[in-house]
Amino acid sequence: MTDLPAISVTDLTKDFRVGIRGVKLRAVDNVTFSIPRGQVFGLLGPNGCGKSTTLKIVLGLVPATSGSFTLLGSAAATPEARARTGFLPEAPYFHRFLTGRELVRYCARLSGVPAERVESATDDALALADMTEAGARRVGTYSKGMLQRIGLAQAVVHDPELVVLDEPTAGVDPVGSAAIGRMIGAMRARGKTIVLCSHLLGQVEQVCDRVAIMDRGRLVLEGRIDDVLARRDAHQISVEGLTPAARAAAEEALARHGARVTSVEHPRQTLEDLFRRLVTGSRD
Amino acid sequence: MLTRILWIARITFLEALRQRFLAFLLVLAAGFTLGSLPLRSIDFGHGELKFLADLGFGALLLFGSVLAVVLPAQLLYAEIDNRTALTLLAKPVGRGEFLLGKFLGTWAVLGVFTGVLTLLVGLILVGREPMVAARALSLQLTPPEVDLWGLCQHALLQWLRLGIVAALALLVGALAQTFLYTVVVGSMAVLAGQLVWIAQDALARPDGSPLGRAGLWVTTRLFPNLQGYNIGEPLVLDPSSVPEGTVLSLVVAAIAYLAVILLLACAAFRRREI
Repeated sequence: MTDLPAISVTDLTKDFRVGIRGVKLRAVDNVTFSIPRGQVFGLLGPNGCGKSTTLKIVLGLVPATSGSFTLLGSAAATPEARARTGFLPEAPYFHRFLTGRELVRYCARLSGVPAERVESATDDALALADMTEAGARRVGTYSKGMLQRIGLAQAVVHDPELVVLDEPTAGVDPVGSAAIGRMIGAMRARGKTIVLCSHLLGQVEQVCDRVAIMDRGRLVLEGRIDDVLARRDAHQISVEGLTPAARAAAEEALARHGARVTSVEHPRQTLEDLFRRLVTGSRD
Repeated sequence: MLTRILWIARITFLEALRQRFLAFLLVLAAGFTLGSLPLRSIDFGHGELKFLADLGFGALLLFGSVLAVVLPAQLLYAEIDNRTALTLLAKPVGRGEFLLGKFLGTWAVLGVFTGVLTLLVGLILVGREPMVAARALSLQLTPPEVDLWGLCQHALLQWLRLGIVAALALLVGALAQTFLYTVVVGSMAVLAGQLVWIAQDALARPDGSPLGRAGLWVTTRLFPNLQGYNIGEPLVLDPSSVPEGTVLSLVVAAIAYLAVILLLACAAFRRREI
């Protein structure tokens, strides 16, 4: 049973009827992929490419036009399969009058957490999302970053096997995004399968084991992150203390073996790394 | 399953209590009911208590109906538009459970609305009863009496009636795509329910073409007779005029209507794309 993929999608297609004339709009076009258990899977693509629709189909929120899928071994998004799945939708909105703790407790009860375990499960989820202190405040007073974090807490309060995060860092500053990245890492360490839709490619690159890229409803690439990013036709050598004479000698030596130096650059750190190094502490 | 439905109902109830529209209609209905006091001298030839009861029950009927159409539609579309429905329905919550939770939360609010207005009408009637009775005795007339049990029965019937209206609004909401459409079509369904007695009367007469009679028969089966629940004035001021078993049969009919309408609403909502 555990060898089965967390999510398997086969020839999935979804058409929407739009406008009075019911013009057909194909949101997902014959998509096939599989997400192994215990991995972090990045589902990438521009806005409107069909990522969220694919996830909604898998979660049983939208029916597919054709194709099939399995969710945690079930041939449909049954209540049993959904009870083992956590979901954070894009730009989540929660009842503003509830406190964060009340919201997470409410979601725990809906997710089937037994009454005697609700408080401890709520505490754990709030701690994971770093929302223990803010849990006493009303959701209406939360910043965007806090909304995302409380959304993450409600998604994991029932300790699901699979966590689906749709744009968890949308509208969140780099510090908050890094915090969410750490939470994803913590969930991976607990053996969860995580599906991550995000536009933060740097973060996806850091946390994901596999990625799939969608464009205009079609899957254009899928594979292990190391495999899809590696350029097999080029190599990079980092050298310290390279003098002009040493560089000329190295280029000559390489040329003798039929290789050609195409560029010599100083290594760069990413902007995200620089930002995170200079700006510390959460603004939440 | 019941736990999940009751939790959704609880949150819906708390959310509905915070709706300004509810406060607005409650104040309006209470003002309308209290406004009957200074106007009681122009009772159009009816007894004063009858006039007061008619205005109070009228306010409950009118504003309660508006609330019963708008509130469930507003709460349902708020969940869908704000995407909280996505969060909830991705959990092991059935669509039927979600809709029943929304209904029960709304119905509980309608119960509060009915209770407050009934209490207000009861206070007005009981407060005016001694003066009206003394005046009647001075004129050697039979003094009117306010039957509080009848008032409670009327409150129950109105609550059931508003429940049917709310369930109809949810049924339309489960099928429709916009809040406005739901409110308009829901209001028309309520109006049809208020007027269906005309079709029942016409069907009871032996004349008419077979096609017309078939149309009337379908109409009477399709829409609940909501007008039948408006028996507040006889229940409260002249209980002996209400045939025995009337209230019980109305309660049974309401429960049957609620069950059928909610089943249809759940079936329609299962097919909806969130």
